[in-house]
Amino acid sequence: MRFPLQFPERAVLAAALLLGGALSGAAADGVQFNRDIRPILSDQCFSCHGFDAKKRKAGLRLDVAESAHAANKDGRIAVKPGDLSGSELWARINTTDADDIMPPPDSHKTLAPEQKALLKRWIEQGAKYQRHWSFEVPVRGVPPSTGALHPIDRFIADRLGREGLALSPEADRRTLARRVSLDLTGLTPTPAEVDRFVDDPAPDAYERMVDRFLASPHYGERMARSWLDVARYADTHGLHLDNERQIWAYRDWVVSAFNRNLPFDRFTIDQLAGDLVAGATQDQLIATGFNRCNVSTSEGGSIDAEFIFRYAVDRASTTSQAWMGLTAGCAVCHDHKFDPISTREFYSLYAFFHSAADPAMDGNALLTPPIMKLPTADDSARLAELDSELVRVESGLLAKARTTPYADPAEANPRPPVKDLDSVWVDDDLPTGWKGDTSTGGTSRWVTREEGGQVKRGRRALRREDGGLAQDVFVSGAPMEIPTAPKLYAHVRLEAGKLPRAIMLQYRTDDWKHRMVWGDIDAIDWGAKGTGQRAHGGPLPEAGNWVRLEFDAAKVGLKPGDKITGIAFTQQGGVVHWDEAGVAGQIDPANDPSRSFVAWLKQQQGRDVGELPPDLRKVLKEVAATNRTPAQVTALREQFIARVCSDTRETFQPVIAEMDRVRKRRNELESQIPSTFVWKDLDKPRDSFVMTRGAYDKPGEKVSRGVPAALPPMKSEGTPTRLDLARWLVSPEHPLTARVAVNRLWLQFFGIGLVRTAEDFGSQGEPPSHPELLDWLSVEYRESGWDTKALVRLLVTSATYRQSSVVTPALLAKDPENRLLARGPRFRLDAEQLRDNALFVGGLAVLQMGGKGVRTYQPPNIWEPVGFVGSNTRDYRQDTGAALYRRSLYTFFKRTAPPPFMTTFDAPNREGLCARRERSNTPLQALQLMNDVQYFEAARGLAQRMLRQGGSTPAARVKFGYETVLGRPPSADELAVVLRSLDRGLARYRADKPAAEQAVTFGESKAASDLDVQELAAYTLTANLLLNLDETVTRN
Amino acid sequence: MDPLTEYHVQRTRRQFFGDAGLRFGGLALGWLMAGSGGRRLLADAAPGAAVDRVHPPLPGMPHFAPKAKSIIYLHMNGAPSQIDLWDHKPGLRAHFDKNLPDSIRMAQRLSTMTSGQDRFPVAPSKFEFRQHGRSGMWVSDVLPHTAKIVDEIALVRSVHTNAINHDPACTFVMTGSEVPGKASIGSWLAYGLGSESNDLPAFVVFTPSFPSSGNGQAIYSRMWGSGYLPTRYTGVALRGSGDPVLYLKNPPGVAAADRRDMLDALNDLNRRQHGVYGDPEIQTRISQYEMAFRMQSSVPELTDLSRESAATLEMYGADVKRTGSFTHSAIMARRLIERGVRVVQILHRGWDQHDNLPTALKNQCLDTDQAAAALVTDLKQRGLLDSTLVVWGGEFGRTVYSQGKLTPDNYGRDHHPRNFCMWMAGGGVKGGTVYGQTDDFSYNIVENPVHVNDVNATILHALGIDHRRFTFKSQGLDQKLTGVEEANVVKELLA
Repeated sequence: MRFPLQFPERAVLAAALLLGGALSGAAADGVQFNRDIRPILSDQCFSCHGFDAKKRKAGLRLDVAESAHAANKDGRIAVKPGDLSGSELWARINTTDADDIMPPPDSHKTLAPEQKALLKRWIEQGAKYQRHWSFEVPVRGVPPSTGALHPIDRFIADRLGREGLALSPEADRRTLARRVSLDLTGLTPTPAEVDRFVDDPAPDAYERMVDRFLASPHYGERMARSWLDVARYADTHGLHLDNERQIWAYRDWVVSAFNRNLPFDRFTIDQLAGDLVAGATQDQLIATGFNRCNVSTSEGGSIDAEFIFRYAVDRASTTSQAWMGLTAGCAVCHDHKFDPISTREFYSLYAFFHSAADPAMDGNALLTPPIMKLPTADDSARLAELDSELVRVESGLLAKARTTPYADPAEANPRPPVKDLDSVWVDDDLPTGWKGDTSTGGTSRWVTREEGGQVKRGRRALRREDGGLAQDVFVSGAPMEIPTAPKLYAHVRLEAGKLPRAIMLQYRTDDWKHRMVWGDIDAIDWGAKGTGQRAHGGPLPEAGNWVRLEFDAAKVGLKPGDKITGIAFTQQGGVVHWDEAGVAGQIDPANDPSRSFVAWLKQQQGRDVGELPPDLRKVLKEVAATNRTPAQVTALREQFIARVCSDTRETFQPVIAEMDRVRKRRNELESQIPSTFVWKDLDKPRDSFVMTRGAYDKPGEKVSRGVPAALPPMKSEGTPTRLDLARWLVSPEHPLTARVAVNRLWLQFFGIGLVRTAEDFGSQGEPPSHPELLDWLSVEYRESGWDTKALVRLLVTSATYRQSSVVTPALLAKDPENRLLARGPRFRLDAEQLRDNALFVGGLAVLQMGGKGVRTYQPPNIWEPVGFVGSNTRDYRQDTGAALYRRSLYTFFKRTAPPPFMTTFDAPNREGLCARRERSNTPLQALQLMNDVQYFEAARGLAQRMLRQGGSTPAARVKFGYETVLGRPPSADELAVVLRSLDRGLARYRADKPAAEQAVTFGESKAASDLDVQELAAYTLTANLLLNLDETVTRN
Repeated sequence: MDPLTEYHVQRTRRQFFGDAGLRFGGLALGWLMAGSGGRRLLADAAPGAAVDRVHPPLPGMPHFAPKAKSIIYLHMNGAPSQIDLWDHKPGLRAHFDKNLPDSIRMAQRLSTMTSGQDRFPVAPSKFEFRQHGRSGMWVSDVLPHTAKIVDEIALVRSVHTNAINHDPACTFVMTGSEVPGKASIGSWLAYGLGSESNDLPAFVVFTPSFPSSGNGQAIYSRMWGSGYLPTRYTGVALRGSGDPVLYLKNPPGVAAADRRDMLDALNDLNRRQHGVYGDPEIQTRISQYEMAFRMQSSVPELTDLSRESAATLEMYGADVKRTGSFTHSAIMARRLIERGVRVVQILHRGWDQHDNLPTALKNQCLDTDQAAAALVTDLKQRGLLDSTLVVWGGEFGRTVYSQGKLTPDNYGRDHHPRNFCMWMAGGGVKGGTVYGQTDDFSYNIVENPVHVNDVNATILHALGIDHRRFTFKSQGLDQKLTGVEEANVVKELLA
């Protein structure tokens, strides 16, 4: 039976599909609660008469028979089996009394007449309840006998038969080759691959082609594309600064897991609990990145507890939805209204993820701990090499120290006198190894006496004239030491009429945080005002004379013994001469730790001196002076002579410098070794609580780890672990995991899931169109040992999959969405496939796998207008060369401003889980495919291939283009249309060579120089046409 | 909306940015030929012309006769200081540099940027306030132009929000949730009300430049994202540099005539494909390519200011022709509304004055005040203000106490979610209204609190939508812009 279209707002839909099957089923075999009644009650009634105890009205539950069939205190029964007039529900939905009618007017819900009719028949037939379908363990039924062999086809054909329909004939081989190649590898088959299949006479030619694609490394890339949406994978943190994060090893792990055909149970366990598996491998630890993919923040002012809470909520909800299709997130605040997950049960799940060791604030860091380094064998070998080099240089250093004479002034008799010291750092020349660097660009120059320049001392001085903030920096030599009673100084000469707003002396130790300003303290906005980071030396010195600027080093936070590794002269505008800068003070050699070994030992006792070898660091730090062995003292003395003593510094500087170079190389290498986010628990787990109404600061009842009672019990010894949870998910008793996984694959290959709401298997989700098939496949998947490739092979070798997608108007009217599958699936390619295929057929694609995200072509002002000033993903710096042509899976993904080629074609922004993408069809997409440099450059690439490899006639070349892009030759009509267009293009560009030259130079790759530019331009436009064909952008 | 209706809508509705093909053979061809749609054109058309619209409203929408047909939302990102702009507290002068009384602060939550401060010195606004218009509304001297339109606006001094930091607060004010993933107000409106323009997106977004003295907090594409709604309802950014719409321009060396030639062949081939497969999606694609082609001329026409009068240009201000400026965005907003676009959103950054507030806030106002006021005036002069709702506001307020050192001339203010100011003007708004009252320190609301969800409920109401009935099924819930807590329309703001 079908309802006529008399209820326009609810319309066709009900009839055609969703309930279509259900209704005809209801007519044939009686009303079923799960199929027919639960969707109505869930939508209309459960919010007040369901699972949520807090919102429940009149104590009535309609989701369970015990309450619905029971009498209330007035003796009335909501649903009395077989007795319509005795059922309060029936009376209340039919009354005209506004006070009594259900659903009540303020709920803004109304029951449609056909829904009432179903409720009527359900009550009449006995008002039987069923548990929600997805909570029943799937049972493998016997596929109906329909004459078909393939089990999938038997289920599909059986249902079609009941609808008076049948499977369509198989698609032609060329269409099939393209269909399955795109589905399994994400790439168009090459003409050679198509021909191989077309020409293969073997009865299993198709299966053999499928096996070839399943064995391709691009299979993993294709499959990863879908899972990465589920895992909310991206290359930035996602909140506030949205800085870069390094977790691409997880993305590569997903690709590899599919290629290795890692069974889905292990795929599950490794991602949720790889760290807890005995003898966890590096791979298993990388896999735990799954639950480090959530968005995180480091926004100043944030409250830690709030984000610790949010991250755990995200992880628990994502896990629940990814594996069980349960939207547990609702239960964060209140008992789930529709599904049997109480708030308490949600927090029991949450407790599994609440003790993650990552900090509340990600630090805006590339690598927010816990992380794991991932050196290649090559990296490890090179590190070892540099380590032995360091050992060699170190032993050379010590050998030299042993032969260098040294007398400790503290042991001299008489004691050496205290000396004044005046050490000039910057004068006509710089100290050994130092060099100047005009870091703000160059208007400074050395002026000499000879040319009549102003010089304080010696031969020359530095003069700078600038309109703004300008700086000369001197760095890189041996460090210079601050003596006792130190006064820092420099000489300057200003010019009247060209006064700067301020001048500044700045010193570097480990950092550049020692500054003294004269003049306007606000004119140079660096460092905290009023501290040593920005101290004030007074007004600007008088102009026209050399003035000595001198101050106590303590004012800029420097003390005796500090090592200066850089000095800078800074000015805000004006003209400044600089000369003779240094430090004055006193030296008492016997008490000076840089001259006396004894003084140094005394100073460093109990400290951790980083520049020493580890064993000696320990000695200084932990062994009392009196307990040191003579050998230890000797070793320390050698270190002192080599590394510390300023009297011998000149001797050792070259070796130290060499060691620094090696160490720098080592550090550089080490910093290039990638790392990845991994999961780790805190040593001491956090206590978890029900958070009242989902507020992070309102902990209520304490909870322990556990799973919802409506699902099978979880096995564990002692406190349940994430490993127990993961194993529970893939246990044979679990009703949801296999169904959800199978459905996601079905969605991928058929364009729409057996359960349309792939992300929701709860009572608000849609029931399956083919429940018996879904269950059969789920059991099959589990019993095959969760063999994903086998399941994929099963799906794509069915006749259902292989059908032609030709649709008649009658079938289209009956089943517009193709839920019944009387024809083959036909839908637009994903964002990634569109771009990959354009590059691929254009001969530009670089199919290198894995590694750091690449920054491909992107129009200006995608990142910049949204980015925070301090974000390291604010300025988009496009890569060059091969990186522009990598597969889209490897494109750097910034969450707050994702790549337009992705979002225009419905890619999610990866802020949260996405189990199915929209497939929109918009003019913005047309503009992009026509005009984006990525697609137009690919068109030129294709044009070059047509001209070079396509033969000598336009017809042959167009045919080559068709076969390359679509795997088939054009029909005669099509060929004529394209040739006419090509002719117009040729005429147009022959008449306008400059336009042709422009058209072939779009993009970074160079046009082939041996081809005629005008011809190439015309073919480029033709290739642009081919790349925009509906057939090209569609997987048919 | 239930899945049945959703399905119906998807099948029968021809969205500009969605599938637009089912009736291609008949009506769709009509609009392909019709040229620019837009409000003026439609207003002149015969009754029933609305069925020719590329993206009509959802069935049953709007719920009731709307006061406003479209909305311009001026989002001042970073949180403008209510104390220095709108919430006049003359008594604060006497409290200069005194500690904020505990009776006022009441140990409320602070951001961790000032929770470590040992004192909370009261910083009165450095700016003078004066009364303006017939309504006598108090306005700070840094908003001299907005001060002239006070009789058009309804000021709410008692808006409050849940979030204390920018990212969650921006996400909240725009999507009704602090956690990313929900649909933005603009995409809700585009989804529910469709658009009256056949050539332009239903929802257009600007992210203009801002003064260098501003503290440019980030904005997030989720603020105009579609969340769980279909992605075609995402706001389309009209860009300040490069192509105003992404990929609008043909590649170099490709002229409009070349594109037309290519499209003729493309349509021909696609029609043949449709002849074989019968898939309506192919017809949709043909129509979308045609639409794209038409946008290549309609968007340049949109951005061409040469026919604006000198007086109009002058009213907006000196930056009016500088693409990417707030001023340019403002005049573009009016042009978009004229052409039937449903939602225009301008997200202006730089309002996060933790320090140096007097100078920086002044610069922020110099960048926006004149153009914002001109926009309202311009709409009024053209008779569009009655049907256009203009909203101005940030994501939270700022503290009365100074963050960092307080001097008579300089201070900063931390985040303050407990009260802030927003204003609305135009469609259905009762001009000259001042609503809500805070205490003497602009620290707590003492009268008529308005939650961010109430603001959004009121906006929807002005556009003819009952926020309680405007739902979309996702994640097992009937999702609403105004969330699960009770939200109320502030009727006092509406005429």
